[in-house]
Amino acid sequence: MTDQLGTHVGTQGEAPAEEIGVRNRLRSRWRAMPIAMRAGVSIGLLLVLAVLLFLLDHSLGYAVATVGALYWIHRLPQIPKAVAQAIVVLLFAFTVPSLALALAIAFGVFWIPNPWRARVLPAVAILLVILYPFYQDKMFIVPVFGVWPDIATGVYMLVFVMMAVGLNIVVGYAGLLDLGYVAFYATGAYTAAWFASLQFPHQNWHFGAVGITGDLPGIHVSIFLLIVLAGMFTALFGIVIGLPTLRLRGDYLAIVTLGFGEILPQVARNSDNLFGTGFNLTNGPNGITPLDSPGFGNHISNLTNGFLPANYLQCCNRTLLGHQIQSTDVFFWTAIVLLLFTVFCSFRLQFSRLGRAWIAIREDETAAAAMGVPLMRTKTWAYASGAFFGGIAGAYYAAFKSATFPGDFFFNISVFILCMVILGGMGNIWGVIVGGAFLAYLNQEGLANTGSWINTNIHVGNHHPNLDVPLYASGIYGLIILVVMLFRPEGMIPSKRVAAELHHGVHDEPLYDAQHAGAEA
Amino acid sequence: MAADASAPTLATRLRRPSAVGALGGLFVLALLAWLAVNAERTPADFLEVFLIGITTGCVYALVALGYTLVYGILELINFAHGDVFMLGGMFSITYATHFFGLHTGQGVLIIPIVFATLLLAMISCGLINAAIEFVAYRPLRGKPRLAPLITAIGMSFVIQDVGLIWKGPNYITAPDVFPRSKVFSIGGVDYTWNKLIVVVITIPVLLGLLYLVQRTRQGKAMRATAQDMDASAMMGINVNRTISFTFLIAGGLAGAAGLLYSLYVTTVRYDQGFQLGLIAFTAAVLGGVGNLPGAVLGAILIGLIQAFNEGLNWHAPGSDWTQSIVFSILILILVFRPEGLLGERTPEGG
Amino acid sequence: MSEPTAVEDNVLVAEDIRKEFGGLVAVNNVSFAVPRGKVVSLIGPNGAGKTTFFNMLTGVYKPTAGRIMFLGTDVTGKPPHAITALGIGRTFQNIRLFQNMSAQENVMVGMHARMKANLFNSILRTPGVRKEEQQARERANELLDYSGLGRKGGETARNLPYGDQRRLEVARALATEPQLLLLDEPTAGMNPQESAEFTAFLYKLRDEQALTVLMIEHDMRVVMGVSDRVSVLDYGEKIAEGEPKDVQKNERVIEAYLGKAAVEDMKRQGLS
Repeated sequence: MTDQLGTHVGTQGEAPAEEIGVRNRLRSRWRAMPIAMRAGVSIGLLLVLAVLLFLLDHSLGYAVATVGALYWIHRLPQIPKAVAQAIVVLLFAFTVPSLALALAIAFGVFWIPNPWRARVLPAVAILLVILYPFYQDKMFIVPVFGVWPDIATGVYMLVFVMMAVGLNIVVGYAGLLDLGYVAFYATGAYTAAWFASLQFPHQNWHFGAVGITGDLPGIHVSIFLLIVLAGMFTALFGIVIGLPTLRLRGDYLAIVTLGFGEILPQVARNSDNLFGTGFNLTNGPNGITPLDSPGFGNHISNLTNGFLPANYLQCCNRTLLGHQIQSTDVFFWTAIVLLLFTVFCSFRLQFSRLGRAWIAIREDETAAAAMGVPLMRTKTWAYASGAFFGGIAGAYYAAFKSATFPGDFFFNISVFILCMVILGGMGNIWGVIVGGAFLAYLNQEGLANTGSWINTNIHVGNHHPNLDVPLYASGIYGLIILVVMLFRPEGMIPSKRVAAELHHGVHDEPLYDAQHAGAEA
Repeated sequence: MAADASAPTLATRLRRPSAVGALGGLFVLALLAWLAVNAERTPADFLEVFLIGITTGCVYALVALGYTLVYGILELINFAHGDVFMLGGMFSITYATHFFGLHTGQGVLIIPIVFATLLLAMISCGLINAAIEFVAYRPLRGKPRLAPLITAIGMSFVIQDVGLIWKGPNYITAPDVFPRSKVFSIGGVDYTWNKLIVVVITIPVLLGLLYLVQRTRQGKAMRATAQDMDASAMMGINVNRTISFTFLIAGGLAGAAGLLYSLYVTTVRYDQGFQLGLIAFTAAVLGGVGNLPGAVLGAILIGLIQAFNEGLNWHAPGSDWTQSIVFSILILILVFRPEGLLGERTPEGG
Repeated sequence: MSEPTAVEDNVLVAEDIRKEFGGLVAVNNVSFAVPRGKVVSLIGPNGAGKTTFFNMLTGVYKPTAGRIMFLGTDVTGKPPHAITALGIGRTFQNIRLFQNMSAQENVMVGMHARMKANLFNSILRTPGVRKEEQQARERANELLDYSGLGRKGGETARNLPYGDQRRLEVARALATEPQLLLLDEPTAGMNPQESAEFTAFLYKLRDEQALTVLMIEHDMRVVMGVSDRVSVLDYGEKIAEGEPKDVQKNERVIEAYLGKAAVEDMKRQGLS
């Protein structure tokens, strides 16, 4: 709100209907104060806060003070923006060079005028992510959160963002609450595991697998092929479970999907001796491990001069830009490609005939049907697309971990992915990416780092709390869902349309109800 | 218009003989045959398991009623309900052992202790449940249906964490005070006191609830609000208070269930509520969501199904599959007979 | 009950359709025909079963008994989207636009059944898909123009004035390329001026689009002004049918609207 300093004060004051309530009254009184006073008060408060935090943890105090100072330098009308930004960058250039560089890039991008910025911003973002393995170890330490996530966490983040983007098609676009998305993740993972491991030792069928000898028992299909297959198989699975259930009203659908999400892991856990026949389908609680390594094989690798690695796990004996490339890096880059593909499809679908139909269904099923939108088919497509990306993500993550266990597919994971979509902003791909990346990071490293920060810095005398923060992960996600739904249901980066729906309501009496109840004669 | 509030007549129901109905009938027949074979082969086990099923069914019934009450009035699946039940178990153990010093070998003294604990647990859970409604669901009334549903999931996880922070990640145990001596025996199977106590506590609570909903002013307000919230508000019913009251009652039932469960099973853990809650919800759906006798019937059936599955010897899938079986029932019922066994899918229309 | 003659060129024929909700009969064995190129009005007191009837024609409800033929095809119990695809477009009594979509997008949703893009070629955005999108957008603008919403294509439906929302609903229904247009109380809630404008728009539709229109309407000025035929429903039964003038004088109709006393009153006045 404070970024409407000075110029906007007058125009903002003319909404008397909004001025009810303590919060709004305080806000308008704050706006009425002269800028110098406001600056003084803010800087004073900031200093107090910074000092307090400094006592807690030096770096946190510095960080808060810096951000505050930065903000005010930026705001002061006497200093041109460019100069202010240059000062800031120079300030950090000697102390925290990586931060200075990051800020320089960020400032630089925002100097680009808008029609261009909209294109440059994603390009820069993608480039920075691709280059991440090269500078990850050189990044500054973030107060409280500690070091930047390592590359394996990066893979995890990318995979989960992919799932979040997939779930967003179902929840954000079509408005179908899926509480069993983990079922798709599991389907994808097991598909990859079945056909690229020793799971079926009586079969011996090889197709494009790398890094193993031809006489190895089991089915061994190239992981890349399997990723595609897993996606298609999972989409098919989505259609099969969607067909009978998608005609149900929203809350019943949610519970049915939850049911599938609970049944599937149990099937996975119990199917090491299917129906007492001795057939081992899933290897039970021990899971299936190891999986074959992904890779392009020697032939393609040689053709591309080693650019596409023959075998991910034995990669790579080369150094680029002073960085010894690890096999994790290659997994990371592949995940980026998969995520970009997901995002691309998701965008294309959003602005298509199908995407419009999804929104129409979300807003008013009955009207959509009356306008010629086939409800079942359209919903099933949403479900199948969501499932497709879930399957791909599952298969790829199984290949990365080289394992799949039934314990990975709890209901918590479904809610975790849903939380990403909600935190980021239902229906908005950028929001979902940001929300997903942040939560996945929290889950993998962030919570643990924060926990150890709390345990070292917050103490009474020598009494440390010894909190095991990751233990409380689910509740933290629950709290995030709760807070977001209550205070900003449209998420961090909202889709305008979803925000309007959440604030004004929609006509969401399902056609199914209309057909069975008949409210108006 | 006047076209609502009437369940399909028997005639219209019988008019459509469907493949699904026939398959369902066959399935039920096969199930009965399986039960018969089991009863024939091991009659003692069968009876024993049957009694266990009824007992668990009673606990499920108390939880299922909470789901049904809330669904009836708000059309909201209150995911947090199962976790309130779990808190009820924790409250019960805490009150009983810390406040009243409950331990084994107290003889008749356990009766007043259990009743005092029951009352306290019901009040605590009722208040918590009403508070949940006030904090998490009320602000979202009038928003798209999915909003409060998502919030309910968040709430459920938050409450699990409350239990986790309060009692830690491990099972907490209650003193095993319900006597296991037999009340009477049939066919060589003892009916033990601990099972009887569960039933003896459940039945008055159920009757009390029925009286409350059918006979009291507040109950009438509840039914009216369930039928049509706007019209009720226009007729001078305080809708907010009625909804709070519903949550209070539902929470109270969860508290009672929590007490019974914790003293009968004697262990409680922070994450038990969610699973058991879903089973109870299945029971509510099976009986017909929004239908009180339906919830009890569904709960007894689910209790029996679970007991038969886990306890019978001849071709029973076993406890590994309980969850899958229960959820399969849930899915099948929702897909093929969303109005449940006793009809009337939602309170305002058939 | 006057049976529709089979030789007549009827777009829609409903035979003995009946709808029960539980024990309540909302529509009681109504037979009904809509001749091609005509404007037919369905009137009746509140709760007479008009909207239920509409909902059966459009597949929202499944009739308990009876048969509905549209252009020679049996559409009884078909899902709404299939009926729309066959050529019945509709509007709703209480406006049901996609409130948070722009006017243009609303109309484009109406074209859903007439467009061909699927999941796969939408992702690839093939030239065909691109062209189809482009044409749909142009066609939507034309329809908006035609409905008098030419400059409002970018506006969110929610923010349009009431009269414009009604027009947008018609534009959206026209986008489904209907042969038969069902309008459910199109002038409900309009002031006299909006109502008059809308009537003019209806004339334009009938004359320029060669459409057959079936509408439910309460405003008798509109009904008597534009209808070629009027059918009257009361308590789920058809009590009268014919030219507007005749229906106006029908005793049962007056009784249904004004009660028995009024009929007697009129008789006495007519006699004396």
